[in-house]
Formats: sequence, structure tokens, C-alpha cells
Amino acid sequence: MAFLLNCPNCGERNVGEFRFGGELKVRPEPNSSRDAWTDYIYFHRNVAGDQSEWWYHSFGCRKWMVALRNTVTNEVKDVLFPEDVS
Amino acid sequence: MLPKQTPDRLPSHPTQEIDRSVSVTFNFNGRTVHAYSGDTLASALYSSGVRIYTRSFKYHRPRGLLCSAGRCPNCMMTVNGIPNVRTCSVLVEEGMVVKQQNAWPSTEHDLFSILDRMDRFLPVGFYYKIFHRPKQLWNIVGPIVRRMAGLGYVQTRVVEENNYSHETRHVDVLVVGGGASGMSAALSASRRGKQVMLVDDQQLLGGRLRFDGNLYDGIPGVTSDVGYEIADNLSKLVTRNRNIEVMLGTTAFGLYEGNLIGLIQGRSKVKLRSGKVILATGIYEQPSIFDRNDLPGVMLSTAIQRLIHLKGIIPGRSAVVSTCDDQGYRSALDMLKAGIRIVAIIDSRERFPNELLAARELQENGVLVLMSHMLIRAEGTKHVVGAAASRLSDGHATTEEREFDCDLIAMSGGFQPADSLLRQAGCELSYNKSIDRMVASPMPDKLYAVGRVIGNDNLGKSIVHARSVGSGVAEVKSADNALSTPANFMHESQDLTEIKNCTAPSPIDLSQGAKQFVCFCEDVTARDIVRGIDEGFEDIETLKRYTTSTMGPCQGKMCHKHFANIRAKSLDNVDSAVYTTARPPVTPIPLGALAAQVHTPIKRTPLDRKHRELGAKMIELGPWYRPHTYTSSSNECLSVRNTVGIIDVSTLGKLEVVGQDAKTLLDKVYTGNFSTLKKGQIRYGILCSEDGTILDDGTVTRISEDRYFVTTTTGNIDVIEEWFKWWTVGTGLCAHITNVTSSYASINVAGPMARDTLRKLTKIDLSSDSFRYMWSRRGMVAGVQTLFLRIGFVGETGWELHFPAEYAEHMWESIMDAGKEYQITPFGVEAQRILRLEKKHLIVNQDTDAVSTPLSGDMAWAVKFDKDDFIGRSSLISARDSGYSEKLIGFNMKGSEVPEDGSPIVSENLPVGRVTSSRRSPITGQGFGLVWVPADMAEEGKVVHVRVGGENLPAELTFIPAYDPDGIKLRE
Ligand code: FES
Repeated sequence: MAFLLNCPNCGERNVGEFRFGGELKVRPEPNSSRDAWTDYIYFHRNVAGDQSEWWYHSFGCRKWMVALRNTVTNEVKDVLFPEDVS
Repeated sequence: MLPKQTPDRLPSHPTQEIDRSVSVTFNFNGRTVHAYSGDTLASALYSSGVRIYTRSFKYHRPRGLLCSAGRCPNCMMTVNGIPNVRTCSVLVEEGMVVKQQNAWPSTEHDLFSILDRMDRFLPVGFYYKIFHRPKQLWNIVGPIVRRMAGLGYVQTRVVEENNYSHETRHVDVLVVGGGASGMSAALSASRRGKQVMLVDDQQLLGGRLRFDGNLYDGIPGVTSDVGYEIADNLSKLVTRNRNIEVMLGTTAFGLYEGNLIGLIQGRSKVKLRSGKVILATGIYEQPSIFDRNDLPGVMLSTAIQRLIHLKGIIPGRSAVVSTCDDQGYRSALDMLKAGIRIVAIIDSRERFPNELLAARELQENGVLVLMSHMLIRAEGTKHVVGAAASRLSDGHATTEEREFDCDLIAMSGGFQPADSLLRQAGCELSYNKSIDRMVASPMPDKLYAVGRVIGNDNLGKSIVHARSVGSGVAEVKSADNALSTPANFMHESQDLTEIKNCTAPSPIDLSQGAKQFVCFCEDVTARDIVRGIDEGFEDIETLKRYTTSTMGPCQGKMCHKHFANIRAKSLDNVDSAVYTTARPPVTPIPLGALAAQVHTPIKRTPLDRKHRELGAKMIELGPWYRPHTYTSSSNECLSVRNTVGIIDVSTLGKLEVVGQDAKTLLDKVYTGNFSTLKKGQIRYGILCSEDGTILDDGTVTRISEDRYFVTTTTGNIDVIEEWFKWWTVGTGLCAHITNVTSSYASINVAGPMARDTLRKLTKIDLSSDSFRYMWSRRGMVAGVQTLFLRIGFVGETGWELHFPAEYAEHMWESIMDAGKEYQITPFGVEAQRILRLEKKHLIVNQDTDAVSTPLSGDMAWAVKFDKDDFIGRSSLISARDSGYSEKLIGFNMKGSEVPEDGSPIVSENLPVGRVTSSRRSPITGQGFGLVWVPADMAEEGKVVHVRVGGENLPAELTFIPAYDPDGIKLRE
């Protein structure tokens, strides 16, 4: 992987500066069933296509951001701070 | 047949790149060779009479110069100990040591060439088919085959000066290829203020124009009309331009996402990130296919031009030229002017190229030109002595043959674009019949191509086009890429019609002999390819892997076109000549370059100097340098237990968590309760992942209502900072996480005399009644504002002091002075480890692994299931209800042996558990530590067996800490 991510704080940077934080997921309510928790913890959708996912700019501003990336082409369509995701 | 005499060089000429006033000598196979400065090793060797440069990979056939441009496998030798160096691309340097390879006893007389006569037994893929039964046979034959087939030997001894360097660079525009188009593009981009890098794999700029004496009329903005002068003028402009950085002898070996380019130049590798990339990589001339087309003396027509023009070498006396386009005539004319007799020009096309100046001049000189003919054979065993041609009918050779005597064969089998980088970038290729070449289109974002690589063969138009791409690239803002899609650039000036009929596919007739080589690297013949197809490997990718054609050191530069054509032809599918996938690297890259040193910065604590002054033995722990011991670990342990010890714990991860939701965040991420902490109170906490496994541990101190001070284990701080931040943004909490690890220095003072020592430095009341265990204070210590934590770090009365890092040495000295009368002793990480082990404190990631939970780690007390929610709660509830298989417990050895960390626990001679921490106790003198055992085995007093040095030694399990089990000391 060598693509660039446009950090909303630092600008366009080498993906190597970031840590991948996995696909965006909704955490179950605390007392959800064991199945719901198992789904959340161990199963991923693993989309081949556009995916919203977490990235952490570990060698930069050390902020978390959400990127919309095509997992097949690595085209990054958008990178936003979580509070700016509508 | 070797020419006896060293051929003389041609008189001086502006295209020559040698300096006759400077002579250089080097060692070749033990003898001294004289050369001129500016010679390549290959040209110097040629001039000294060498014709056989290498022996081929499989059949050990003699091979000589083929391309003279660093693209084929034919001139590889071991230079200064480095194998497989292309000698035609390396300029001579005084004292170089050059050796030939892959031959025994010598390249001139190679006994392995017997293999050439056995080719019938060594068909393509022979190693898949024979030596299979009996099975052991391959074990014997394999190494022999490997020794006989192959190239040079890799030096296994590590030599310091052979190290590669590694650099990361950024530019606005990278231009790959220093020919006229590349230089023109670089110049116009730089004139618009862009930082441009121009790379070329040759040693000089100019590309093919360096050896082109043709006249080019009316190219706008160019001050000369002679080919090599145009190149020279452009390269002067480029070299003088301060915005253009030129890297010669540099290969762009890979184009990766986001315009990341791998460059290699000698011993340095550059990872270059470029805003835009312009490819001006040009084209490669291809061999013709005829019997024994690999004999020394058979060369690409451009290779001959290079030798004549650039090095002043006359490569032979009489030449036959095999061509399918105009290039053969140009080369023939150059040879004629250099004094070489042109015996015949064998042109596979039907119509004589009357409009070509060179062709007319050759005709006027009475040169024999045979149209509609193909070369079918070269004669000779170690060098060309003749050639045979045959009239073509319907694309096949007829029996109408003619034979010629000659000592040189120039072949021009058409051209192939140097498009590896374009194909790596995912450009689609389509076959263009009028130039018999693949053309790439369209280009991905921010990638452009100019010149002959995209079929722009007209020099004038190509230069104009390159200029417009160069300035276009410089002007386009990333926002409006659409305006400048490279496709637009391309179509503007791409007009292929005018060169129509200049070239035709080079004829191939499989019936004409068994030694028609397609792939020179791997010794694959045209018949081998057809045989592979007959055996069912029709798909180009499987055919490639089966025959290994295109997979050798040249990576298809000499064979891809014919390989694809032969396949298409034998499948009767000429128009669908598909190519194989292109992947980096474009040329072989030494592993050393890929592994080139990466620099890891070392972290030192603010007390580093003090430790060294005290003679500490330092060790690397993660990124940190820390004192291992100062004197001896048992000494240091006893001092802590009996009087007072001091340790630098500045490496502890430190976080400040501030905000109205700080308490909510901590309750969420820790398994324990932190919103209930009172101001000033401290609590030990465990962090779990959502699957219930232990992530980290540490202390949490409540400084005020909305401010907490958190410590993490040394190596985990970055992970935990990230973890806290993720949960903060992920749940929309109002909390700020600040990593203050390096802002504060931290010192722990522990032992029965710790209070007496610190009392001298502060007004804070340190008595047990007022400053209780697991409470904190803020105040002045030795004149420095300090956060004081009373914790039981090593199981003694003790305080951890956190204060601004710049006062570290002052604080250390003050405490050392104050403790002098109690023999205060600095202790290192080894003593700390033993002391903490005596208290049965686990170390995260040493005593825990990816499946350890607080429950199996015997710390259920730290998990508050009554909280509504915390990270890992649901998984831990499952673990609590359904049980877990292993448990962490302490052990004491019964004998005097101390097992190593990691020793297995055995039961009935099977491993059932493992020791994770093991040390000799300074108190009992016996081994003790922590061990994982099956949960049903984890009983107080149970005897298990530890495997130590082949013996099973008894150890007793215990939940009880070895030292002060009731925790009285640390509360005193
Ligand atoms: S002759 Fe040197 S690489 Fe082809």
C-alpha cells in the first residue's frame, strides 16, 4: 500500500504515516445478546468496494479520522474528522 | 573466431563519449585491460578483443554483446565482487576487478556447453518432467542443475562498503527518460517553477539522439537540426536549469500507488513521491528470430550504432543486416561510414523504402538489398562467420536461399515500447498495426507519457507535445484534473498515419532450425514456446510461467514482443496479441537495496547521563535505553528491601485525561471503577480489548474533578493514547487526551528508608496517617513542583515522583544526597523485575499474551462486572460463565536450578504449560516466577515439572506472593 490519505488536519500524506483502524461499526448495547457481540467483535463485512473506515494519523497529528475508500482500487474519496461526518 | 588484432578506434567525432587523453586500466579475469575514460567495461573489453561475454543460463552457449544498452542478459559479469553487473552500463574506473561467471573452466572454453548438444533431452520445463522417480533423485540432481544453470554467485560475507543507502524524496514532477521528449517536458515544467527530477538509466542525457546524425528540419525552438546536436543542446539547458535535478545511471524500477516511485542508482535507493509523473521511456529494439540468432557477432542494430558513435569502435569488417523497418538502413549507413562492408540488407518488407534518405544512399553505394527476404540462419560456432537468407512467400521462408560471408549481423526486429511503468500503473494496451507496436491509453490520474513510448515517433512533434505536457502538468491544479486528462495531451499531436508502412511484423519461421532464441535470459527458443502451447499452456500467463520466457533478468525487454506474437500466431489470433501483467521491479534489484538500512531513533531518558556516570550497564528496551544493572541485581534488590533504592521510571507512559467526560471515558475503557475515585486517590487498572484480553495495565490518579493522570506500561503508550482517543471520538465524549510521557521525568524511591530520605526535601507530611498508600499529593520537592504518588511499585513503602523533565538531574542528585546516609542505591530494570516478581506483579506482554484475560491472569478482583458497561465486559462475562482453559500462577522451584523464561511445563512428557517469568530469588536463592498451567492444575501447593536442560524438575505452584503476601510493608 502506498496511496495517499488527505488528513483533514495535516494535508495529503503517505498512508504509512497512518494506522488502519478497521471498518466503521456500530457497537451493540451493553446487554445485547452474545450473538450480537460475537458479530461485532469477530466478524467484519470486508467490503470489496467503497468502505467507511477508521484511520489514525500516528506519525502526524495523532487524530482519528474516517475515510471513504474503495478497497479494490485504493481510491480515497473522502477523509473527515468523525465530528464532521454527517 | 576471435579477431587477432585489437580493432582500432574511429577518428574523433562529436558523438564520442570517450576521452582519449585519459587512459584507465582494470583487471579482467586476472589480466590488465586498457581503456579510455568514458568507456564502459563492455566497450573496453570489446576493444581489447573479447567477444564471448557470458555463457547462457541453460545451454551454456557463448553469448556476446546484444543491446549494449543495459537491457539484455548478455554482458553480465561479476564486478568488484558484485554478481550480474551489466558491463555495458558501467563506466570503467581505475582498478576495477571484473570476472566472468557461469562457465567452467572459462567463458571461452566452457565444458558445460555440452548441454547445448543435449537440448533434445532438456525440453522446456524438463525439470517438471524428469528426475521424479525415484523421489530421492531430485535431491541429488537438484543442486547440480542449480549449479549448472544460473548466473553469478552471491557474496555471503557481509562487507560494510557494500551497504546500500535509503532515501525518501519529494518532487513536483518526475520525468523518467532523458531523451529529447523527456528533456523537453522537464524544461517546460521547470520553467513554470516546478521542482523537477529527471532520471535516466544511461550515463548521459540524450537518449537515442546521442548517436543520431540525421537531419531534422524545422523543429520549432531548437537551435540545431542534427540529431546529436539537438540532444546536446537540450542536455546543456537541462543541466544548467536549477529547478531540474538530473539523476543518471538511475532506474525507475517501480511505480506504486500515489505516484510513489522506486529509484535505484548504484548503491542508493530512493523512494520518491512525485506530484506528477511523466514517462518518456522510449522504445527497445527487438532481435530478429532466426537460427543461431544468439551467436556472438549478432547484435541489435542500435547496439552497433552505439559502439560506433559513442565509443568509436568498429565492431566488425563485413556485416549482414536483417530488418523489418527503416532502422536497419540507418544502422547500415552508419556502418558503411565507419568502414564496414555491408554484404547485404535483408528486408522482410515488399517495397523498397525509396523515401528514406539512408536507403537511397546505400543504394547509390551499390549495397545489395534483398526485399521480401528473411534471414534464416547465422553460421559459426563461437562467432558469426556467415549468414543465410531466404525469399519470403506468404510469411514463410522458401527454398530460395542465399549465403553470405560476414563477421557481423545487425538485426532489427522492430521495437517494443519501454512501457513497464505504464503497465504497472494499469494502462490498457492496444495494438497499433501501422507501427507494429502496443500503445498505452488512457493514463491514470497524474501520470503522463510522451515520446516514442506512446508511439510518438516523429521527433519534432514529439518535442512539441512533450513541451505542452510539461507546461500543462505544471499549470494544472489538482482540483481541475479533468481539464488536463492525459488523453487530451496525447491526442493533440499523436498522428501515426505518416509513419504507416514503415514497419512490418518481423517474420518468424519455426521450421528454420532449433536454435531460434526468443528469450536470451532463460534460453527459450521459438519452438519451446510452441511446444508449451501444444502441451496446453495456452494462456499467456501460464505459458510464461511454464516456459519462463520473459521471467529472466531482462524481464521481457528483449522477448516480450516475439513471445506474445508467437503465441498469438500459433493460436491463429494475431490481433489479440495480449501481454503479461507487469509488476515491479522493471530490472532486477539487489536485495541489499530493498533491505537498505532503516534508521530507528533511540530514546534516552533525561537521566541517561546520570546512569552512564554511575557505570550502569544499559540495554535496549523497545525504543528506550535503560539501565539494566549498576552493580549486581541481587545487591540492588537487597538494598531496596533493607534500606532505600532509587530508579528512573521516566519511560512510563503518561497521559493526562481532562474534561467533563474524563471519568466516563475511564470507566468505559478500564475494567474497574474510576468515577468513584476521590480527589487525590490512586487505583490500579486493567485495560481490555473488546474480546476481553488484556491490553495494558497501570495506575490512574484523580487530580481533580475533571482531571486524571494515567500511567501505562513503557512500550504501550502510543497504543493506549490511540485507544483512549478512539473511544473518545467514537462515543462523542468530551475529553482531551494529552501524552505527557516526555514532559515529565519520573523517579521511584522505595524501601524502609524512603520516607526518611524524601522528608529532607519536602514539606509535605509523608507520615502514614496523613499520606496513605494509594493516595497522591502535589507539592514542592527539592524546589520543584512535583506530583507525588504513593504506590507499592516494588512492594515497599515508596513514592513515585513526576515532575518537569528539565529538572531530572537536579532531582536525582538531591535525592541521592538526601539518601546518602541510608546508602541509597540506584537499581536497574533487572532488580525491578525481580522485586516485582516477588510481589507476583505480572508484566503485560511478558506474562500475558493475545489470549490472556484478567480472569485467567488471576486478577478477577480488578474487574467490576457490576458496572453497566466497559470494553470487554461481554466477553469477560462469557469467560466467567463458561470458564477458561489456562491460569497464571506463581511457582517456587524445589531444587537450585532456575528455569529460563519460556521453559515448558511437562506432564507425561507432553508440554502443558509455560514459564513466562523466572528469576533467582535474592532472599531464598531459589528459582521462582510465574507460569501458565491448565486451569485444573492451578492449585495451591501442587507440584508440577519444569523442563530444564532435558530434565523435568519439580516446582510448587502458589497463588501467594513470595514477599510480604499481606502487603503490610508497602502500607507502613
Ligand atoms: S549488452 Fe549489456 S545489457 Fe545487453
